Amino acid sequence: MPVTLSERAATHVKNFLAKRGKGIGLKLGVRTSGCSGMAYKLEFADAEDPEDLKFESHGVTVYIDPKSLSYLEGTELDFVREGLNEGFKFNNPNVKSQCGCGESFNV
Amino acid sequence: MALLQIAEPGMSTAPHQHRLAVGIDLGTTNSLVATVRNGVAVVLNDARGHGLLPSVVRYRADGGVDVGHAALARAAEDPHNTIVSVKRFMGRGLRDLPDLATLPYQFVDAPGMVRLRTVAGEKSPVEVSAEILKVLKARGEAALGGELVGAVITVPAYFDDAQRQATKDAARLAGLNVLRLLNEPTAAAIAYGLDNAAEGIYAVYDLGGGTFDLSILKLTRGVFEVLATHGDSALGGDDFDRRIYCWILEQAQLHTVDDHDKAMLMAKAREAKEYLSDHDEARITALLASGQVIDLLLSETTFNDLTASLVNKTLTPCRKALRDAGLRVQDVKGVVMVGGATRVPRIQAAVGEFFGQMPLTNLDPDKVVALGAAMQADVLAGNKSGDDWLLLDVVPLSLGLETMGGLVEKIIPRNSTIPTARAQEFTTFKDGQTAMSIHVVQGERELVADCRSLARFELRGIPPMVAGAARVRVTFQVDADGLLSVTARETGTGIEAGITVKPSYGLSDDEVAAMLRASYEYAQDDMAARNLAEARVDARRLVEATQAALAENGDALLSTEERAALEKLVAALDNALAGDDLAALKRASDALNHGTVEFAARRMNLSVRKALTGHRLDELEI
Amino acid sequence: MDFSQNHFALFGLPIAFELDAERLERAYRDIQAQIHPDRFAHAGEAEQRLSMQWATRVNEAYQTLRKPFERARYLLQLNGVDALDPRDTSMPPDFLMRQMEWREALADAGGDSGALARLEDELRAHAAELRAELAQQIDRRRDWPAAAATLRKLRFMDKLLEEIEAAYEQ
Repeated sequence: MPVTLSERAATHVKNFLAKRGKGIGLKLGVRTSGCSGMAYKLEFADAEDPEDLKFESHGVTVYIDPKSLSYLEGTELDFVREGLNEGFKFNNPNVKSQCGCGESFNV
Repeated sequence: MALLQIAEPGMSTAPHQHRLAVGIDLGTTNSLVATVRNGVAVVLNDARGHGLLPSVVRYRADGGVDVGHAALARAAEDPHNTIVSVKRFMGRGLRDLPDLATLPYQFVDAPGMVRLRTVAGEKSPVEVSAEILKVLKARGEAALGGELVGAVITVPAYFDDAQRQATKDAARLAGLNVLRLLNEPTAAAIAYGLDNAAEGIYAVYDLGGGTFDLSILKLTRGVFEVLATHGDSALGGDDFDRRIYCWILEQAQLHTVDDHDKAMLMAKAREAKEYLSDHDEARITALLASGQVIDLLLSETTFNDLTASLVNKTLTPCRKALRDAGLRVQDVKGVVMVGGATRVPRIQAAVGEFFGQMPLTNLDPDKVVALGAAMQADVLAGNKSGDDWLLLDVVPLSLGLETMGGLVEKIIPRNSTIPTARAQEFTTFKDGQTAMSIHVVQGERELVADCRSLARFELRGIPPMVAGAARVRVTFQVDADGLLSVTARETGTGIEAGITVKPSYGLSDDEVAAMLRASYEYAQDDMAARNLAEARVDARRLVEATQAALAENGDALLSTEERAALEKLVAALDNALAGDDLAALKRASDALNHGTVEFAARRMNLSVRKALTGHRLDELEI
Repeated sequence: MDFSQNHFALFGLPIAFELDAERLERAYRDIQAQIHPDRFAHAGEAEQRLSMQWATRVNEAYQTLRKPFERARYLLQLNGVDALDPRDTSMPPDFLMRQMEWREALADAGGDSGALARLEDELRAHAAELRAELAQQIDRRRDWPAAAATLRKLRFMDKLLEEIEAAYEQ
């Protein structure tokens, strides 16, 4: 499996999709921008794009565009809590360096 | 490291550009902050897991300020410096406040708005409210992991202009960028309507701690249209507590009560009211400063008798709002209950009886307003495409001018959809008159004395003419926050003398700036840094918005030269953003703002044409 | 912004008293959906200001066309007639007589809600007749002076209905 969700992340995603009332899964990707060259894209998917690759992890359908895949290969998406803040975190083995905030990275 | 949230399709932001926005319910009794995270509206809790922040502020002798539970816990012990239900004093003069006798505060009458004397000096209700907002802002920033781009702050629908302006000033004082002031029942309708895909006519019955609103809305395909709103901005759950308090005094035959006992007994009264929501009777025990012991049993029946007139008082606005909307009780599909006080069984029964149906209680009446505000903040901050829903709200109270004989001439009638503007022409009544005084009032009554005075100003420089020859055009504009501005202009001779006023009851920009400076958090350097930071946020937003607009319609609506000129202005602002010269940044921002006027106008015209295309096709079919 | 455009053109509607209320409402909502200030809360200053001006204009136009009384008055205005000119208050004698009867009925009803309701029904029925007359006078006969006279009667009816509302209150 090239990209996975931690069980905790999957539970939260399913919960958010249910409360949101629409959506067929999660769309992951990378784009070039930010201080270290690349940035993650994490969005709800409302419709299937035929070009996207489709994975299933802990019951969540994940869509990735083929161009992004090489940068995400082996990534695990986790859900963590830090103090009052909570959210998703990409554990990406391809990353060589990232900016202090973790929102932008280099491969 | 920043944590990511799931964005709406296509709405991912660039790194460090998250448009973090919150909705704040600044309540009489409790306040809350909520946000939309991962597509879902949630109330943000403090570190101890509390969502509700008691709207209580205590000024300590050592100069510190406690807000929330810590302040509430000391209310009985330190009544003069612990401000409870400050919302009741927002935008109010001393003579507007009923029940002064039951309040333990030392009021200072000040023009426009009362002040409270505390150990930390005289405080305006705006400053007290700002303390609550600061705590909620900090909570939002801790929970979202960054600075907020803005907040939607809710106000009672029946708040008049002075109360709205005071709320906006408090937000500014707390360092919040106000995306919109949103009416509480409308916020509740968004949260309820979107959750339940509701369609049809709905009534929102919102009994807060100190205010009562009744709004009638029409929900159709994502449009929330307020048809009418009515209410009483001095009626709320607090009044039910006060009735119990008075009953305690009467039963215990207490004639004089010191301020400590007053605060303590008010708290006991509130507890008893809440207890009676699920029980037939409540026991009230207290030990007074005198050593006297109070031990009373309050039955639900007695409580209902004590408060029957208050419950009835809420039904009058229900009748009036329906009539203004041109509807009957049978037209109402559902009644949404908002505010902690609607947990009182007798209120639910009375509302059920009036509307001929059981009210909807399937949502948390304490949280629904904050959740709706968060949803609206998410749209206004630009995190959602915004096509999902549209709000059309109204002015709750008529706006007018004083005319001869102390009578009111209404300019904007109540329940007009906002934004709205109306102009009226007046003339001079004396030969050679060169000035005209203009008195702006709000309310439904015919006499100026019975309405709320909002502002007085003078238009000078009218050229001397015979009586009746000068033409003074007074324009009222109410914006999307429900706030009024008034312009007067002499047009009879083509010589124009204009003045724009922000009504003068609130605080002037200078006063707010002075308060900001005075607050120990903002030393001179911080002030400059803050100004620069604010200008940067605005400038970045402007660059982003202009680039998006250029990408969307630049080719279609601009000539090559026009486009190049705009791009040059964008580049100049981008350049200024790199430096830290505030004046240069402002100049570049102003230049771009000025430069985009024509482009913006063409874009608007295009939008309107687009909106009508569907209807033109309709016509062809006919 | 094109202020010279009349309210009907703004919503893509034919200039007439008879009007498809549903179509007006749809056009109003579709335009508001595009230009309402909530759509521009994160836009530049120029767009924010324009959006407020547009929304204000669209609200005014909608409120005018939505209410039959205001719509008729506006149509007459488009044709150069100020129907409510304070210098012209002439009323036919028979209408003045009925006015007096209704006023007496209102005074006699006092707080009797049954009597008030009967009077209200009668007045509403008569107001509906007047509106039908307006449609004839404006759309078919294009008789502006007659329409202006009907409008003045209608204004009187509205005032009386307001007084009935007030009487219910007491």
